[in-house]
Amino acid sequence: MPSVISINGVTKRYGSVTAVDAVDLEIEAGQVYALLGPNGAGKTTLIEILEGYRQRDAGDVSVLGYDPQRQRGELNRRVGIVLQRSTPMEGLTPREMLSFSARLYDHPMDTDEALELVGLAEHAYRRGSKLSGGQKRRLDLATSVIGNPDLIFLDEPTTGFDATARRQAWEVVRGLTERGATVILTTHYLDEAEHLAQRIGLIKDGRIIFEGDIAELRREMATDTRISWQPPIGLDLSDLLDEWKSVRAGPDGRLSLPTQTPTVDLARLIDWARSRGIDELPELQVERPDLEEMYLELVDDSQALDPAEPR
Amino acid sequence: MNTADIARTLRLGFFYMLLNLKTIYRQPAALFFVVAFPIMFLVIFSSLLTFEIGIPPEAEGHVPVVKFSQYFVAGIVAVAIFGTSFNLLGTSLSIQQFDGTLKQLAATPLPKASFFMGLVGTALAYTILQLIIMIILGVVAYGVELPDAQGWLTLIWIILLGVPAGCVLGIAITKIIPSANAAPAVIQAPFIILQFISGVFFTLASLPTWLQWVAGVFPLRWLAQGLRSVFLPDAYKFAEPGMSWQLELAAIVLGVWIVAGLGLSILTFKWDRSG
Repeated sequence: MPSVISINGVTKRYGSVTAVDAVDLEIEAGQVYALLGPNGAGKTTLIEILEGYRQRDAGDVSVLGYDPQRQRGELNRRVGIVLQRSTPMEGLTPREMLSFSARLYDHPMDTDEALELVGLAEHAYRRGSKLSGGQKRRLDLATSVIGNPDLIFLDEPTTGFDATARRQAWEVVRGLTERGATVILTTHYLDEAEHLAQRIGLIKDGRIIFEGDIAELRREMATDTRISWQPPIGLDLSDLLDEWKSVRAGPDGRLSLPTQTPTVDLARLIDWARSRGIDELPELQVERPDLEEMYLELVDDSQALDPAEPR
Repeated sequence: MNTADIARTLRLGFFYMLLNLKTIYRQPAALFFVVAFPIMFLVIFSSLLTFEIGIPPEAEGHVPVVKFSQYFVAGIVAVAIFGTSFNLLGTSLSIQQFDGTLKQLAATPLPKASFFMGLVGTALAYTILQLIIMIILGVVAYGVELPDAQGWLTLIWIILLGVPAGCVLGIAITKIIPSANAAPAVIQAPFIILQFISGVFFTLASLPTWLQWVAGVFPLRWLAQGLRSVFLPDAYKFAEPGMSWQLELAAIVLGVWIVAGLGLSILTFKWDRSG
């Protein structure tokens, strides 16, 4: 499949902060590609460079063969964009908005069809000011596809939604992708990327630190099994800590040992405990953190380090 | 640009104007300021100030005596033209810069020229609506006399130049507005000052020369003077600076605003201040 987006060494700085740091990316036609990462990772800056809103400081960008910085007019005819924030358009109805938008494109979708596609047909004549947040978002989605675009950008399409509204929005996005357009979405929800995307780019501190499908992401993030237990207060642990350098103590004193050979290490731990006269290790757990936990750790880590992403 | 592109730009500009008109029409506050405000002014001032204005001493022959309402209608029509273009456009554009409406619009293939045409068209349509209401009200309730054929022609070209010139200022002032909340206040300040120094409420001649010069830089003064030539008998031109209606100068000043100002303000226009 040919590349719809091809970027090389793209960098964007705000003062001393490098929001996007020498990113390379190839996105093939027909894919749903998720840029996944915590707040402040550089997702929005990167997607807005692709959309033509922001000027890059370095690197090459080709979106549908255009340079968004210089050929935005041509690009706009073939892309649909859903921004992070919904546009108010309070006085207008979804139908009026979409009829106007349809006029802007060479081969637009039928207005009723677009309303149907996002499930807004029954609210077609309701004023924008009377639409719920979820309904406004669906109108944004309809507006982005009314021109039958080859490429759709969705910047955090479900942020701030409750679980039901998110599921509904996902259904809509799936409907859009079935029409054959390439979709690039940003999200900080792992499950959103998992549900919608065939390919995921994990972005942190302005760099893509992983790229692949969800199975590859699982393998990449899959870590060691952890053996953990709560040692009784006053127990001398010095020889245990000497033997196992990678043991870590939690804030509550809980000891945790990451290992690739849990059976062997557990046997050794039990032997050590018996030699101290402990037959039962308090609160013993042998577990393997799931993808979500690993991802949340990554998110927390980077939220602590990184200033807020400029929007 | 070929013919098809030009036709598309004009067509989309027209539809963008319709969209804008619909939006404003559905905002009671905006509608109130646009339509009701100048009418209230006309009613209040014309009811309070029922005296006749003095005939200029330089006038020769028989000069009809003119009521204040006749004089004031010229000023208030000028304020209506300038208010719709400068005030309403500046405020709504500024709000749309901050709330992301224009950011979203910038992602569509709407040509920039269509966008600005739509804006000027919106202001023109509302101005014409206001003028129809005010002139009918003035004639029916306050005995304002309708202009002659020459006067109507002057009125038309003043509207056609005055509205775009006011729009230029409305687009330009968005640059210095710090937030959406500040928009109405930042725009009202120069609007009120210009009304007082542009010969709307007081004659120009009663102002110090330097203030006359300041007012002369902006469109409102020329709108008001041009409109006095529409609504007052010709002999009253002797009360004006230079003892003339200065219509040629008005056309030049408004034309310069449109040509130089529109280009500059479009080039430096900010589509997105929502961040």
